[in-house]
Amino acid sequence: MNGGRNHNPNSNSSMTLTINGKDVTWTGEATASLADVIREGQDLTGTKIGCRTGECGACTVLLEGQPVVSCLVPVASAQGQAVETIEGLARHPEFRELEQAMQEYGGVQCGFCTPGVMMTTWAWLQNPALFGGDIGAALKNNLCRCTGYRGIIEAAEHVLASKGAVR
Amino acid sequence: MTTNRMQQPSKSTDAKVMNPADPNQAARQVNPALKTKPLDLPSKLEGQTRYLHDMNFPGQLIGAIYRSPYAHARIKRIDVEKARQVEGVHAVITADDVPNHKYGPTKFKDWNILARDRVLFIGDEIVAVAAETKEAAEQALALIEVELEPLEGVFDPEAAMIPGAPQLHEDVELNRPMKVDVARGDLEEGKQKAVVVKGGRYVSNRIYQGHLEPVGAIAHWSEEDGITIWAPSHIPYRAREAYAAGFGLPEDKVRIIVPPIGGSFGAKYVLKVHVIAAALAMATGRHVKIILDRYEDMITAHPRVPLTFDIEIGADAEGNFVYKDLTVYADAGARVYWSPNVIATACTRPDNIYHFHNVKSTGYLVYTNNSPTTCMRGFGNAEMLFAVESVIDEIALELGMDPAELRLKNIVHAGDTTLHGYRLDTCSLDACIEKVKELSGWERRKELPPYRGLGLAVANHVSGFRAIDPRFDGSTAVIRVKPGGLVEVETGEIELGQGMTMTYARIASRVLGIPEDEILVKSGDTGRYPFGIGTLASRSTVMGGNAVQKAAESLVREIRQLAAQALGEGTVYEAGVVKHKDKTYSLGDVADWFRARHAGEELTVKETYVPDTELPDATYFGHPSPNYPFAAHVAEVEVDPDTGRTKVIGYWAVHDSGMIIHETMAKSQVLGAVAQGIGWVTMEDLIVQEGKVLNPSMMDYRMPGAKDMPEVQVHFVQEADPHGPFGAKSLGEVALDPVPGAIANAIAHATGRRGYVLPLSAERVWKSLQA
Repeated sequence: MNGGRNHNPNSNSSMTLTINGKDVTWTGEATASLADVIREGQDLTGTKIGCRTGECGACTVLLEGQPVVSCLVPVASAQGQAVETIEGLARHPEFRELEQAMQEYGGVQCGFCTPGVMMTTWAWLQNPALFGGDIGAALKNNLCRCTGYRGIIEAAEHVLASKGAVR
Repeated sequence: MTTNRMQQPSKSTDAKVMNPADPNQAARQVNPALKTKPLDLPSKLEGQTRYLHDMNFPGQLIGAIYRSPYAHARIKRIDVEKARQVEGVHAVITADDVPNHKYGPTKFKDWNILARDRVLFIGDEIVAVAAETKEAAEQALALIEVELEPLEGVFDPEAAMIPGAPQLHEDVELNRPMKVDVARGDLEEGKQKAVVVKGGRYVSNRIYQGHLEPVGAIAHWSEEDGITIWAPSHIPYRAREAYAAGFGLPEDKVRIIVPPIGGSFGAKYVLKVHVIAAALAMATGRHVKIILDRYEDMITAHPRVPLTFDIEIGADAEGNFVYKDLTVYADAGARVYWSPNVIATACTRPDNIYHFHNVKSTGYLVYTNNSPTTCMRGFGNAEMLFAVESVIDEIALELGMDPAELRLKNIVHAGDTTLHGYRLDTCSLDACIEKVKELSGWERRKELPPYRGLGLAVANHVSGFRAIDPRFDGSTAVIRVKPGGLVEVETGEIELGQGMTMTYARIASRVLGIPEDEILVKSGDTGRYPFGIGTLASRSTVMGGNAVQKAAESLVREIRQLAAQALGEGTVYEAGVVKHKDKTYSLGDVADWFRARHAGEELTVKETYVPDTELPDATYFGHPSPNYPFAAHVAEVEVDPDTGRTKVIGYWAVHDSGMIIHETMAKSQVLGAVAQGIGWVTMEDLIVQEGKVLNPSMMDYRMPGAKDMPEVQVHFVQEADPHGPFGAKSLGEVALDPVPGAIANAIAHATGRRGYVLPLSAERVWKSLQA
């Protein structure tokens, strides 16, 4: 389970990946979960662990721009790739609009699923077609028990519509 | 009545920090660096909020628990010597290593710290381990030897009450810790008047609260301070009292610090994992952290109390209700968590919506060898209303009446005192029903195509409940003016994500006339903040809100007095500044005046709100809440006759929660509740067989996703209640209460078949269609 804490010297590997634009060298088991590498190796705790079975989506991050449930991604398969977490996303200038919309439409309550929801929603905003065009479909791997999703959906659609207006 | 007839825009600007016309902005001189993010939402959205899982302490150990694999067994032998030899293991403790006091969160004291002699359910805690790593802890667990002699178990409440059934607790005969008897009017007379009688056996199932953040705790021990537990709990003061009793300590030797809570819905009240973390901390002198993984969380889950109802409601030929006769069986599981309150609610609450005139309720709370059950949002009421609202639709069908008309004929109104003594100073339930009919296009009901249905259900709730703690009720708020003029509000209530901090900031902002981003709301530490009964029974807006309003008003008086002392006659306080002659003074100046006169102390006010309520008497009669919210919901469903699968395709929720303080968060509460109700009725079921959870994963226990949610229209009928802060009543639970009934009635309308057992899964609905 908790691959990030495994330090079996016989199975250690060393690899490099990029997290939020920074090169990070990971030494440990190649099968350690990307979520643990992010949380424990880098202390980026915005990526949440809700189930470790890829069902809840709280650990969603972007791997080369695509949302993945990082609890199921072995760190080796992220080697040499770009990982973006909520901490990185929050530095993006366009993040503010989505952040504001989520507050205005009621897309956040307890906040535990929220970083994962934000990652998926961000990816959808970059390319809605990738998910069949529909934010509801894009959110199929993100469980939220508080908001009933409508606020998230309306916030995402609002941001998409305003992007369209700018272009 | 100021019914807000305007269509609610889905977007509201009120999530933005309120900065009303602010003529005094410059004069207030609040240092921008002091302006924190007063609202917790940006921090959550940016991934900066640190939940329990994200917290670590130097020298922290990892705790793990050896649990019973049997539902009922005698402990013959425990050998932990090999486990203690594992490198990195600091403590392996059993019942012999911990205090042996009877304790518990209610008056039923049936908890232990670790199992002694017998285990009573699958997951019952026998041994606990603290180690430097999770791997060492797991290795130690694997080396623990426990010899158990399986005993006969009992899993059904009715079977558990039969003489000769295995007895769980030595001092509780027939496994029945509590029986509720409620009677009003003359049941026999009511039965004689009845022309139409409907009812049957309805069953409400086990629901997993579905908190995304798994359950856990971090604990620490020192001789000076006693036990400190970082525990996501929304009744930390009750938890403190219960846990202190468990260790034989005075109450103030347990301190509970509440980190941000990643969802609870009732799951995170009082939990053995908090106590065991504390026992391990005492054994090791180190911080001990236990986070259950999802499997352990679900295997040992304390779900919504399953209730079985034998119910009968009678009406005369005109549709006037004449009686309600009810027997309820509640499965408490192996120990009492919060189930007594659940069954008491089920036996009484819906009788305060309708004039049944003659009622009898008998409730049996029963121990079984299932995992202890506890509260979930709307407890007792939402389950009971599933049955009541179903039966009322059956009566309407029999009488050939519109279900909305039948309800309008029998509901309570403003000015009524209900059968059990609730005094309704405000009640807009009639307006809610009319409005939900209008919004949903209720008249379409007669012309819907086959397998489409519209269902209506109504609900009530409380805004706090006097009987939670018989000793006292109410809430206390402290407001401090910090050096530099930032205002801090301290409360004993707990933020769960429902928006309590924003609500309190808004209330204080309105009284003090300063922007919300200059007000910081703090709570969640029994060692620092005022006492709180807890965030349950939909208390926080009305109880804590009234306290915040009182404290803010007191602060204004204090500021005026200080200004007069400091500046002399002719001072005026408004919108965050004191004006005197041509000069203006900021709250920072006011704070300095106070410090100068009080040996450097902070300007602080503390006010307690004590509601004008009555403790229900032994017959459950009394006025237990300052005010009562109401709701009317309509669900539209489409049932696939080939599979039995129900799709909720439209939903309308109209609420009387008095005046709405924060519309965005209020609406989000309703939407979240509707989602939980859709899950409950159409898909969710924690399946337990002989005490074993058969679906302990989020894959096998399916909760609603984004695609399961229809468009939902939320509307608030706003009438100011005299007892709420700025006219508010509660909302969080009344939003879930009507959902199961509304969807069940829609399915019955769509299929012509009544569903009696939740969930109304595809399989059950399909089977009903074959009958």
